[in-house]
Amino acid sequence: MTQSKKRIEEIIFEERISYDSRHAWVKIEDHGAIIGISDYAQDQLGDLVFVELPSIGDVFGRGEVFGQVESVKSVSSLIMPIGGTVTAINEELEDDPELLNRSPYSQGWIIKVEPKSLEELEELLTSRQYADYLKTTEG
Amino acid sequence: MSLVIFTATGCTRCKIVKHYMDQRQIKYVERDMKAEGKEEFQNFYKMNRSAVFRGPEGIEFPIIVDGSNIRQSIGAAIAYLHAGEKLDGFFGVGTLHQEWVDGIHLSQGDPAYGDELIQVLQYLKSNQLKLQVDTDGRNSEILERVIDEGLANVLIMNVLGPLELYPQILEQDVDGQDIRKSLGLLCRCQEARLQTTIRAVKRKDGSLSYLTPAELAATAEFIQTTTGSNKWRYLIKHLPPGESADNVRQGIKALQWSELFPYRAKARDYQVYTEIERT
Repeated sequence: MTQSKKRIEEIIFEERISYDSRHAWVKIEDHGAIIGISDYAQDQLGDLVFVELPSIGDVFGRGEVFGQVESVKSVSSLIMPIGGTVTAINEELEDDPELLNRSPYSQGWIIKVEPKSLEELEELLTSRQYADYLKTTEG
Repeated sequence: MSLVIFTATGCTRCKIVKHYMDQRQIKYVERDMKAEGKEEFQNFYKMNRSAVFRGPEGIEFPIIVDGSNIRQSIGAAIAYLHAGEKLDGFFGVGTLHQEWVDGIHLSQGDPAYGDELIQVLQYLKSNQLKLQVDTDGRNSEILERVIDEGLANVLIMNVLGPLELYPQILEQDVDGQDIRKSLGLLCRCQEARLQTTIRAVKRKDGSLSYLTPAELAATAEFIQTTTGSNKWRYLIKHLPPGESADNVRQGIKALQWSELFPYRAKARDYQVYTEIERT
């Protein structure tokens, strides 16, 4: 059975978060930033079978690989949309990787970080810009 | 403990393996990783990631689990069900799809179990599958049976190097007559392709260096003199050091595409259709 992918107009976008072109999102909270992958990314990957998470305290720069997601069909690196120090990981993903498929912007968050610099956020995309980006790249 | 088979919905190869077990009244539990077996497969995968092979199309199904024994792909699964661990080595996980099955390595298993191997190949063929088998020349008696029974739709012969280098490349004693006999059988096969991988060879003085263009020419000459033909489809492959299982070889500098040109030029003196594999 081939899993059909969503059309661009079916992709869910969250308004109050920032995206990068490699399909990660960042949400700023009082005590740092939450990072996950977009609805588009989870849909492209398909049903996840494994999520490899970093450790608390690990430090990553923007653009660095901080983990890996694996579905039956593919393996994809998780790439930091901003630099920072990992302060929390979503351990629920270890037992239930499909949480990321079901709820990419909420229960399926991946890590929390203390950002290195909030200036990096300025280089990210709004939900509208990200939607436009997907339309241009995916046709 | 029952044998478990992880399947994917609609997977024809999974159905063939289940049919094999049904015919022989082998008890098993099926877990469809797209349906009721999703959670169990996730747990299995988490515990056994390093043992699960991924091809270009993702994870290959079926996967059978019998206690600590895990076998992936139709060939390895049926081989295990048919003869337990006796056929280990003969079957790996292939990368071809639809009606084609590859990952059948005639030289890699114990030739004492040739009968069992032939039976498994016959079963695969009886299910309208096409087989691509490979050999490096060892186990020529098995190769002869495979060819005579029409079990190989495509035969890939990996000629490792000139005959005198075989023991160094394989790091074991090699019966030269076995290799010569296999080469001599190629003309009886429906479709045969030859290839040599330019790899780092451990030399007699303990040093490590790539097969040279002159050694590849000697390999091509060996093919010509043994088969009587200089018109085989002959492919030069390069194993990037990073893909080697051997830590020492991983440290060697990779060859650039242009560095393979002298190899091709030399080999064409003896095999006129020599080409370099495009990756």
